[in-house]
Order: sequence, then C-alpha cells, then structure tokens
Amino acid sequence: MSIGCRDLRVTVGGRDLVSVLTLDIPAGETLAVLGSNGAGKSTLLRALAHLGTASRSGTVLLDGQAATTAQLRQAIAAVLQRPVLQRASVLDNAAAGLRLRGVRRGEARRRAEPWLDALGVAHLADRHARTLSGGETQRVAIARALAVAPRVLLLDEPFTGLDATTRTDLLADLRAALDEQNAAVLLVTHDREEARALAQRTALLVNGKIRQLGVTADVLDAPTDLECATLLGFTTHLPPALTGRATTLVARPERCRPLDDATPPPMDTVVIEGVLRRVVPLGGAVRLDVDTTTGPVRAVTTADVPTTPGSPIRIATATEHLRECPTHDPSST
Amino acid sequence: MDVLGDGLIEALRLLLTGDEDTWAITGLTLRVSLSATVVAFLFGAPVGIVLALGRFRGRRVLLAVANTGMGVPPVVVGLFVTVLLWRAGPLGALGLLYTPTAMVIAQAAIAAPIVVALTATALQQVDPDFLLQMRGLGATRFRALGALLVEAKLPLLAAAMAGFGAVVSEVGAAQMVGGNLAGETRVLTTAAVLATSRGQFALAIAFGLVLLFIAFVVNLAVTLAQHRQGATR
Repeated sequence: MSIGCRDLRVTVGGRDLVSVLTLDIPAGETLAVLGSNGAGKSTLLRALAHLGTASRSGTVLLDGQAATTAQLRQAIAAVLQRPVLQRASVLDNAAAGLRLRGVRRGEARRRAEPWLDALGVAHLADRHARTLSGGETQRVAIARALAVAPRVLLLDEPFTGLDATTRTDLLADLRAALDEQNAAVLLVTHDREEARALAQRTALLVNGKIRQLGVTADVLDAPTDLECATLLGFTTHLPPALTGRATTLVARPERCRPLDDATPPPMDTVVIEGVLRRVVPLGGAVRLDVDTTTGPVRAVTTADVPTTPGSPIRIATATEHLRECPTHDPSST
Repeated sequence: MDVLGDGLIEALRLLLTGDEDTWAITGLTLRVSLSATVVAFLFGAPVGIVLALGRFRGRRVLLAVANTGMGVPPVVVGLFVTVLLWRAGPLGALGLLYTPTAMVIAQAAIAAPIVVALTATALQQVDPDFLLQMRGLGATRFRALGALLVEAKLPLLAAAMAGFGAVVSEVGAAQMVGGNLAGETRVLTTAAVLATSRGQFALAIAFGLVLLFIAFVVNLAVTLAQHRQGATR
C-alpha cells in the first residue's frame, strides 16, 4: 500500500508549520525526510497519520485515494521519537499493537515474538519494559510496530540518543526487518547516514516545505540551495565575491584544506584567502575558522596547520568537491 | 491507665467473641463506605479523566475546585446533604434522611473530589505521548483510553482507596444525615462517639480498633500499590 498527501498543511497561530504540496511513498519503499531541528519533520509525520490535535488541512492518500482517520489507523504503525512502552513485560509490549487492534492476548504474543527476535531482543521477552536501556527500549518499540504488519510504517527519529555501536547494530537489524515487509516507510531523521542506510529516496524539509526530493545518493550529494547545502553538511559557503564565479559554491569543510605559503595552488582547485581566527580541536582533526572579506569560512583538516590565529591563510578546495548553489528564493516554493 | 488497659482487654474480648452489635455496626460501616466509594468513583473518575485529558477553558479552575474539595470538612457536606434531604428541602419528598442511603450520598460527596483530583493526577503522571503512541499503533480512541487506564491502574486504585479511607473515618456527615440510629444508621465512628459520651470506653475502644484496622488495611494496600508503581517506573 502506498501513502501520500496533497497540499497537506499544519497550521499553528496562523503560521504554516508544514506545507507539503505533494508526497508519495510507494509500497516497499523507504523515504527519508531529512531536516534540522524545528523543520517540521515530526509534525509532517503526525499529520500523515492524523495524529495529534494540531490544525490540519489537505488530503492524506492511501493507494491514491483520500483516506479517513479510521483507514489510516488500520494501515499505519508509528514509532514516535521518544519510545513509549507500557508498564508490562517486553513481550506484552511487543504484542500491544496487535492487542490494540483487537487481537487476543495469546495470539498477539505469538505473532509478536518473531519480531523481538528480528530486532535482537527476544532474550528480554520476560523482562519488565521499565528495566530496559534506551537502545533496548527503541528496539522493542520498533518490534511492536512491525508486529502489526503495517502497510505503512512511520519512524520518527528512531535512533536518537543511541550510542554509535547500538545505532549501527539497530540500523542493520531494521534494514533486514524492513526488507521482509512490503510496507511504505517514512523515516524522519536529521542524520544523513541514517537516510543513506535505510532510504531509497530522500526529501529535504526546510521550514516545513520539501525543498528537494530524489534518490538518496543524488540528493545527499547535490544540494540545490544554500539551506539544503547546510542541511547536507556543505557548510562551507563561498560566495561569488570570494571566488569570482557566477554562483555561490559550497563544500563540506572536510574537503577544504589549508595551503602553506610555499605550496602553489593545485590544479582544478578553488583557493580563497582570509585570516585564521581560531583553531578548534575536533578529536583527530581540527576545524579552522577563517575570516574572509565576505564572512566566515570553515575548513576541517587532519594536516598540520601552517599558521597561527591572526595570520593570513589560504584554503583550497578541489572543484570536484564543490557544488554550485543559487541562493534560495522562498517565494519560488 | 486502668481505664485504657481494661478498655483494651474488653475491646479485644468483644471482637474475638463475636459481639453481635459490634460486627453489625462494622458491616454497616463497610457497606455504606464501600457503596459511597463506588458511587464516588463512578462519577469522579470520568470527571478526573476529562480534567486530565481535556483541553478546554476553565480546566485548571475545575482542577483547583477538585483539589479544594479534598479539604472540605465532612460536617459541611453533611450540612448541605441534610438541608437537601430535609423534609421541607428540595429532595425531602424522597424520605431519605436518617437512612443508610443518605449516608452513602453524603459520603460519596465527600469522596468524589478526592477521586476526581487523584484520578486527574494519576493520568497526568503517565507519559504525555502515551495516548498518541497508542493511536499511532492503530488503537481507536476508546481502546487507547482503555490502555491509558490500565497503565494508570495502580494510582487509580490508590485514588479509590483514598476516597474510601476518607469516608470510613469521617463522623460529622454520618452523624448529621444518618442520625446514629441503633441498628439502622449507626456506624463505627458515630458509635464510638456515642459510647465515649456514655463512658463505655471498652466499646468505644473496640470500635476504634476496628476503624484502625480498616484504615491500616487501606493504607497498606495504597502503600503497596505505590511501591509497586515506583519499583517498575
């Protein structure tokens, strides 16, 4: 079953928190909605599921047809950002979605058990839910949603607050679990790697509007405006006044490296000049904050910094790592 | 000291030998107070649910009213119920004054604000996203509410028991609307007052011991429920 929407708006105090003209997720596909904090990701997810009391307009579609709230309840299982488990055993929690849909307890537990196994928490089945760690809680919450065999699965930042190892493991288990279902999946996240790991397509949400939508690898590597560029990690912005190019160029800071005075600019690079304001240690690397004539620019490098704060510095970026990016005109969306 | 010691021994004898009057009064006390608690819960719990989950103007004022109601002296409630049920009062035609039914009404009025306030508190302590998550799993509004009540079952039980504890030990309303009629409306508290005024300290102490025992059982149950809740938080 596919899910989609037409002109879906969520309004609070006369202001559109979310305004999505069109969105479609076919069955079997995972679409990531990538956005920064406050972009409206969770609001969009809740609006698609008709959850919450926010003022909402527009149409949510199931298989291309306008869906009622009751139909959405039947089709959708949602995992909220902060997993809410019931005061019960892990197995009873995993079975809760089925129980809420009227399945008898024994049957619900029997059907939920394989999903605990798939998410790697079957050994915790008899434990009380309140004794679980954050990662275990999130796994149980996902198992609970998958157990109802939803035709549409909505995941709201399911990896938030997990340590790196737990997150990587859960990503792999979730990927495998999703492969077994033919559900349309919406993954809300602010993490590009989660989108890359799980989603065939990615939408970039900025100020409640979808700015970019396409194949994940393409979207993540080709921002179409400065706000999308920042969202995708292209946070080094080089305006025309600095480069002499027609449009602003953007790059990931880790692709920008300092040049010492003796080094001639390599071929196919854009070199800018500025004054090193400060050096910020980042574990194995350092971030260089450089003041230029058009504003601050950042570079991240593992190389030795050729100068000290207050001194002139040159920053070089290979053209293959630069993207052209017109300034976004909000009136165009 | 002799009065107290002898009274205690005599009280235990009365209880252990199955003094008919004492047990009849205890039975009526439990019947009246349990009925009042059930009535208070049936009316108070839904109001508490609405106050906890509703989003409407005046909700906080109503919560404040319920909280204030928890502290209303039983004798004031008894006065109002007496006036209502008085022969010339608005409900005088029902002829309920000085009956166990009148005592149930008065005690329910005392317990209801307690049940309302504690029910609202119980539900507000559950994760604010609980209902949303249940709905997100496909629950109807009704089933999601059911899941919420199950989630808060121990605090809700505590609310009911707090209501029972308040009414089983009150004397003012029971005396005013029941009249302390022997064999009809005499409950443990009013009987203890009467026995004391007559100098029958052993009897009064026996009633007091039964009341203490009931209060202890209620508080033990509430404490165990709260500890179980705390242990699984």
